[in-house]
Amino acid sequence: MNLLFIILSIFLQHSGITIENPWIRNSSTGTNTAFFFTVNNAGKEADTLYAAYGDFAEVTEVHETYKKGEDMMGMREVPIVVIPPGSKVVFKPRDLHVMLIKLTSDVEKGMEKEVILKFRKAGEIKIKAPVKGMEAMIMQHK
Amino acid sequence: MPLMNHCHPNISQTNLYKKMTRKIVFSLMLTLVAALFYSCSEKGEKVYSGKSFVLTDMNKKSITYPDITKGKITVVGYIFTNCPDICPLTTNNMRLLKEKFPRRDYPEIEFVSISFDPKVDTPEVLKKFAEVRDLDLNGWTFLTGEPAIISDLMHEAGIISIPGDSTVTPAGEKIIFYIHTDRISVIDRDGILVQNFPGSSLDIDKAYREIIRIY
Repeated sequence: MNLLFIILSIFLQHSGITIENPWIRNSSTGTNTAFFFTVNNAGKEADTLYAAYGDFAEVTEVHETYKKGEDMMGMREVPIVVIPPGSKVVFKPRDLHVMLIKLTSDVEKGMEKEVILKFRKAGEIKIKAPVKGMEAMIMQHK
Repeated sequence: MPLMNHCHPNISQTNLYKKMTRKIVFSLMLTLVAALFYSCSEKGEKVYSGKSFVLTDMNKKSITYPDITKGKITVVGYIFTNCPDICPLTTNNMRLLKEKFPRRDYPEIEFVSISFDPKVDTPEVLKKFAEVRDLDLNGWTFLTGEPAIISDLMHEAGIISIPGDSTVTPAGEKIIFYIHTDRISVIDRDGILVQNFPGSSLDIDKAYREIIRIY
């Protein structure tokens, strides 16, 4: 397993894609929650996030929250997110996020959960994300 | 079916076109429904047209709303628990606002969260939603009810909730994500709407000042 992570780390350095500040909002079995993070593309080529997976949810999708009209909000699936070279794309509350739908177990504060992000060039990147409570939202949503 | 498949990431063009067509039709419908549901409660007017609604709280207790808050200032938010992003933020903003009004110093402020997805949001679901977030429920009531009653309440409040994107789980369960009004309202002791605020991006200090002004 350790060897796998070493190989993965080496691969990630070459791809230029790194994941920063990952966290998952706490929630309970049967409900939905979201995974937030920053994708940093230090490489010279754009990469594309096309899917995500968490084994503690029945469905995992990449979504965005959007404003409709003056005071309405909605959410929709986005098929891909392009990460331009030399840029950072932030997945944050009221914006892009990975949706973890119909949790198969409680996701409680203090836990660490693994989510896989799938990129066209960088391949699969496994992230161990801490689970945080509502206080984490204050930091990121403005 | 979800557009993205974890094992087979290829995106079907046909599905994409279908989804885009659905979105255009949906946008037109949304505009029509928004026009029909134009907010009935205006600032300075009686909320809910003075109506009362028999609802159920998170402890399965029958509650007549807004009668339970009569004579008190009410901070009310409208949510659904399957909401992944906006409603947790709205709920968190209500928590932050509530923390500014310790119960012992401000016993005449009631916080209320009402679900506009009553088929999913049973009392048990609402209770779990509150528990997992460690919310102080002393002075904060979560409400659900019969769909027809909730629909009437939301209409009177000017809250629009329309099924938007949806996902089907491997077990075949359809999960609907609503496009909805993002709102927290402050209502005075006489049931008069004082101010509507954007729920998920609430200016806590502004709402605090507004409540202090009328307390």
